[in-house]
Amino acid sequence: MEEGRAERRRRTEAPSCTQGGARRAGIMTDVHRRFLQLLMTHGVLEERGVRRLQKHCYRVHGRTAAVEELEDFINNINSVLESLYIEIKKGATEDDGRPVYALVNLATTPVSKMASDFAENELDLFRKALELIIDSETGFASSTNILNLVDQLKGKKMRKKEAEQVLQKFVQNKWLIEKEGEFTLHSRAILEMEQYIRETYPDAVKTCNICHGLLIQGQSCETCGIRMHLPCVAKYFRSAPEPRCPHCNDYWPHEIPEVFNPDKEREAGTSKANKKPSRSRQH
Amino acid sequence: MLQKPRNRGRPNTQAERERDWGRGAAEEAPSTSRGAGGSQEARGTSSQGGRRAEASPEVGPRSQQQLELKVAELVQFLLIKDQKKIPIKRTDILKHVIGDYKDIFPDLLKLAAERLEYVFGYKLVELEPKSNTYILINTLEPVEEDAEVRGDQGTPTTGLLMIVLGLIFMKGNTIKETEVWDFLRRLGVYPTKKHLVFGDPKKLITEEFVRQRYLEYRRIPHTDPVDYEFQWGPRTNLETSKMKVLKFVAKVHNQDPKDWPAQYCEALADEEARARPETGGPTPSS
Repeated sequence: MEEGRAERRRRTEAPSCTQGGARRAGIMTDVHRRFLQLLMTHGVLEERGVRRLQKHCYRVHGRTAAVEELEDFINNINSVLESLYIEIKKGATEDDGRPVYALVNLATTPVSKMASDFAENELDLFRKALELIIDSETGFASSTNILNLVDQLKGKKMRKKEAEQVLQKFVQNKWLIEKEGEFTLHSRAILEMEQYIRETYPDAVKTCNICHGLLIQGQSCETCGIRMHLPCVAKYFRSAPEPRCPHCNDYWPHEIPEVFNPDKEREAGTSKANKKPSRSRQH
Repeated sequence: MLQKPRNRGRPNTQAERERDWGRGAAEEAPSTSRGAGGSQEARGTSSQGGRRAEASPEVGPRSQQQLELKVAELVQFLLIKDQKKIPIKRTDILKHVIGDYKDIFPDLLKLAAERLEYVFGYKLVELEPKSNTYILINTLEPVEEDAEVRGDQGTPTTGLLMIVLGLIFMKGNTIKETEVWDFLRRLGVYPTKKHLVFGDPKKLITEEFVRQRYLEYRRIPHTDPVDYEFQWGPRTNLETSKMKVLKFVAKVHNQDPKDWPAQYCEALADEEARARPETGGPTPSS
């Protein structure tokens, strides 16, 4: 998750366009356009799917020979998207560290994609759930606690039964994940809304001690309280004989997850559903 | 804890946060019209280095960045609106995106159209001359394999639409509603019966497709019982062609388009008319 982050930071902090459009942006071809069009049909897409999509676009336009390295391909497109204040952003799922990509908005409010699909009271329900999730210790908000806020929603009155269905709609549209009756943010929501969340809830927001990214789910040190994403824990303590907190050096008391390995998964033919049946709530 | 108002010159009070939240591409005043000052530095404590720029259009000349931001908002607005396949009204664009930048609306629209075509491959087109409504046409040809890598299901209803478009064309460009149902019944699609794939076929054909401007649906005067007729809508002529529809019909019948000489001639003439250089383009009429 750390790789590419420094480059991205440099790129987005670069000075914006100069007069006369003398920008050193990349070149768009039909391959890139088809890629963007189809990527937009996904709210968020796993790296495996992104590679498949890239190959498909090259194939359609008859250029199977020189498929560009994915990172360069995406950086090229992003340099063109920069002037439109959007970006193909790379992140990772918080539970098992799968790399994922989403086309996110950098300028306008992050809920504009949601705003076109949901009514005012539904958006408010999401906002309430979001606040509960950010405030929680575990990164999960229970269905009960969310539904209890139904009376406070703006817009048309919503009954609890209806709210349950709206929550399911959020899950289907990949804004929330549900596990055993509790809800947390989908990687899509984290990618799209990280900036908004950090700016709106600067005191409540938790960050990872390793990658400094927004943290919703993760592990925390019982002594000094610092937190780390599960995939960050996996990478940091990989093959460490005795895991110790990077901040206070106390023994790290939690189970160290495995680093995500796409090749291993492909061989074993395991689906995501088979991995890690229990949620890692290790706070 | 989350409710504590924070005053750092940024919209962080509860009320402002709620207002920010509800604001979407289709809702209230655009983001470039709020906040104090046209600040250009990256905000917030984000270590992601994300750029969150705001601009105020009220006083003085607008900066390059403010204009860029406005075009970006417009592009996003058009993309989102077109997703629903409802033609985008100029009044909506002015209300939800342009706001105080009304004086340079034609330039903004032109820039947005250029970006849409260069970056995404979508052409901004006026539905009908002087209609002040727009749609996006895909400059890329859709390919069957696209369906395997899409994130949405495309539109399963497209099949039904193609059938109706085919019917209309083969019957001389206009067909009575009763004839449409006579045909569709044979395919197991009824106006009064819920369909597994299409849901409410009557609503789909007489309302949805009409609203999306694929079809025109007009009442035939002096008919008893009341009957309606269908014709191609303006979007159909922009997104497809008589030749394409004829080829579809031929494929369905496992025949050749030339097996329908009258329609084939008509389709050819249509192709020739399209090949002629366009006079003017999708420039907005102000």
